[in-house]
Amino acid sequence: MTTPVLATDQLVKRFPGVVALKGVSFDLRPGEIHAICGENGAGKSTLIKTLSGIHPHGSYEGRILVEGREVAFAGIADAEDKGIGVIYQELALVPEMTVAENIALGREPTRGGLVDWLGMNDQARTLLAKFNINLDPETRVGTLGVGHQQLVEIVRALGKDSRVLILDEPTAALASHEVALLLEILKDLRRRGIACIYISHKLEEVFAVCDRITIIRDGATITTLETAKTNRDEVIRHMVGREIQDLFPRRAGEAGAPLLTVRNLSAEPAEGDGITLKDIAFEVRAGEVLGIGGLMGAGRSETLMHIFGAWGRRTAGSVTLKGQPHDAPTPGDSIRRGLVMVTEDRKKLGLVLDESIGFNMSLSSLERFAKKGLLDASAEFVTNQSFFQRLRVKAPDLESRVGGLSGGNQQKVVIGKALMTGPSVVFLDEPTRGIDVGAKLEVYELINELTAAGNAVVLVSSELPELMGMSDRIIMLGEGRVGGAFVRGQCTPDQLLHAAIAAHAAPPSR
Amino acid sequence: MKRLSIRDFSLVLALVAIVAFFTIQSPVYLDPRNLSNLAVEFSIIAVLALGVFLILLPGQTDLSTGSGVGLFGGVAAVLIYNQGWPAPAAMGAAFVGAVALWALMGLLIVKQRIPAFIMTLAGMLVFKGLHWATIENSTIPVKVGAQDNLFSSLTTWYLPPSAGWAVVAVAVAALGWAALRARARRIAHGLTVEDRDTAFAGWLIPVQLLILLVVVLNQFNGVPLPILLLGVTAVAVFILTRHTPFGRHLYAIGGNAEASRISGIPVERTIVIAFALCGVTVAATGFLQTAYAGASTSTIGQFLELDAIAACVIGGVSLAGGKGTVGGVLFGALIMTALLNGMTLLAVDPELKLIARGLVLALAVWMDVALSKRR
Repeated sequence: MTTPVLATDQLVKRFPGVVALKGVSFDLRPGEIHAICGENGAGKSTLIKTLSGIHPHGSYEGRILVEGREVAFAGIADAEDKGIGVIYQELALVPEMTVAENIALGREPTRGGLVDWLGMNDQARTLLAKFNINLDPETRVGTLGVGHQQLVEIVRALGKDSRVLILDEPTAALASHEVALLLEILKDLRRRGIACIYISHKLEEVFAVCDRITIIRDGATITTLETAKTNRDEVIRHMVGREIQDLFPRRAGEAGAPLLTVRNLSAEPAEGDGITLKDIAFEVRAGEVLGIGGLMGAGRSETLMHIFGAWGRRTAGSVTLKGQPHDAPTPGDSIRRGLVMVTEDRKKLGLVLDESIGFNMSLSSLERFAKKGLLDASAEFVTNQSFFQRLRVKAPDLESRVGGLSGGNQQKVVIGKALMTGPSVVFLDEPTRGIDVGAKLEVYELINELTAAGNAVVLVSSELPELMGMSDRIIMLGEGRVGGAFVRGQCTPDQLLHAAIAAHAAPPSR
Repeated sequence: MKRLSIRDFSLVLALVAIVAFFTIQSPVYLDPRNLSNLAVEFSIIAVLALGVFLILLPGQTDLSTGSGVGLFGGVAAVLIYNQGWPAPAAMGAAFVGAVALWALMGLLIVKQRIPAFIMTLAGMLVFKGLHWATIENSTIPVKVGAQDNLFSSLTTWYLPPSAGWAVVAVAVAALGWAALRARARRIAHGLTVEDRDTAFAGWLIPVQLLILLVVVLNQFNGVPLPILLLGVTAVAVFILTRHTPFGRHLYAIGGNAEASRISGIPVERTIVIAFALCGVTVAATGFLQTAYAGASTSTIGQFLELDAIAACVIGGVSLAGGKGTVGGVLFGALIMTALLNGMTLLAVDPELKLIARGLVLALAVWMDVALSKRR
């Protein structure tokens, strides 16, 4: 057997409060394309960051082996020296520079201390020709489409004499003909003996180019399969894996009148690129939890943010909140009309980290505490204190700095801020991401309390068990459209994942 | 519970060092006459710094205040001296103009997405040009003949000694009442409070300083009017920033603008209002500074925008937004004034004065960066 060009042995990576990798072992043979599949949050991104030196040696347990020898990367540069190149989901190109400049970035050829422009362009031309990519080295990268930019990234990585190329969801933003081009280039690399790790949700791509598939779940390797000897259903079964346990104490009641109705909603980004929402329709009733699932980039957060008034421009459709039209609101309008949102990224969109717990919790409700324009500090304190205790925030007192709290406690503060506004519809976007099991259970209990009091909850979650365990009804999104609607207890994880992937595979309209 | 930090101590030490240096160099530095001047100069910088504070809090900046000070002092002077307007009307007109222009700059910043740095840099040039055009590059006195008016009296009128004492008595009582009330509330809500002695000292120290101030000022002409105006401004800004939803919004926007927006805060409106309020202090400072000089000239307000920003930053206001207190701003303004006044007293060359101002500004920002990195 040949020595694997890259291998991991029982990798364990811990973050405060979470174990992201619980023992990942796999090996990459020279000249193979090896897919790594797993649900969102299975640990794929952490694995890549460990392999590429972003999480340096010493911050993890277990071993990384290159050509059979253990390596200790102190940073990205070390990994590049060993021939490991990574193409991230987010492109890392300088749009104002040319193709040649981007390819040479950080290792510009020089002559007498000055940049050798001609040499740089020649280098780029040679590299591009080698991989049959038809691009002018002097084109500004910003004028290229996303697909071509991706190719420039790949050429840049290969220009560093990479022997291993790691691609993280490389086709997420590509049109179908660009995908085909990319897959051809990967096959060409395989012929040249360059090994690739291919990370993608899109199983048809995985089956089209990959030789083997390693499935990870909950931070651990489940199995490695030969592509030729398996099928989509088996892969999905391994990805979902577990049975849904009693971790999800949903107490459903009788659903009442509709509180939020969304009809044929289409929206596009207000500026720049991004996903377009197409023809989304759903309804949430009083006392009900609607789950929204889907893969990364399916448009789940955008859908909620749009209805809330913080994302995109409406191109069609209508939203009705408590019987009233709810079109083009600001977040402030939404909150006043009883709709709040707990965002996915609590540090960026949820909290003022340098301020206290109390400051953050009352931030959306200040008008309520104002008497003749002046804040009634006592009333504010009493209310803050009641939420602090009800949510069981673990901190010395209300004056503790929010930035110093654990993820679970920060999340409770964000939820407290939302609930203090007295909402009737609550959007929860990945409310349990990155928090420990105990805090998760408390969030689930809060969801039960909210619906028992006649409110409606919309829950976005990437974790299928959570989605299935806590939602009364579920819709799956993919590529900005609804891929299927399900009722609690009458669907399997496979069906849900199939619906999400089917929506992904649907040909783009227009 | 707020604790005194190394930063607070280093500020006090800096002030002591500055005072000691200038006193040794020029013994008249601490004379009642000079301290009275210093009090007026302090009021001028501090009022403007309090306005700039409102703009720095939500993470914006304002480089145009110095030019605005010159412009609106000049507008009022021209209306009084050339047009024969009564002083209150002239000052009212200038006030309206300042608020309108600052609100306009705020609107352009939030609606057209012109960065505040560029917008107010443009304002700095435009207002300076308007100022020079208004006064036609000449010297416009603040009063006609020897007839004092409201404008010219701003920096020449002093509270009679007994009135000064009355004001201090009210201030001391108000401080004590506010401290006791806040303490009682914290205790009622089960929050930690300082022990009695520390709390008492926290009241006694400013009270002693206030009394000392009045004793010294009464040895000359009494408490100058600008100090009173500063007091009113400081109390207003304090209440605004600490005890109103608007103030909370300023801190929240500076701390995390995106999260503030998602929390339902009207981010754009808040920033425009902050600019309009800064316009109020610009006009007020314009009147004070011009009255203090006795006439509007082309150099009135020059570099004052930088002194105001420096005062804020020295006082612990973060240029990134979200941090700072009224007390800090006042202290920063005091350090700037002590330095500028001392240099004037020693008749330091204007060249050197400029260099010193620049170095203090750089030092203050460096302190801000160095101290905010540690956490």
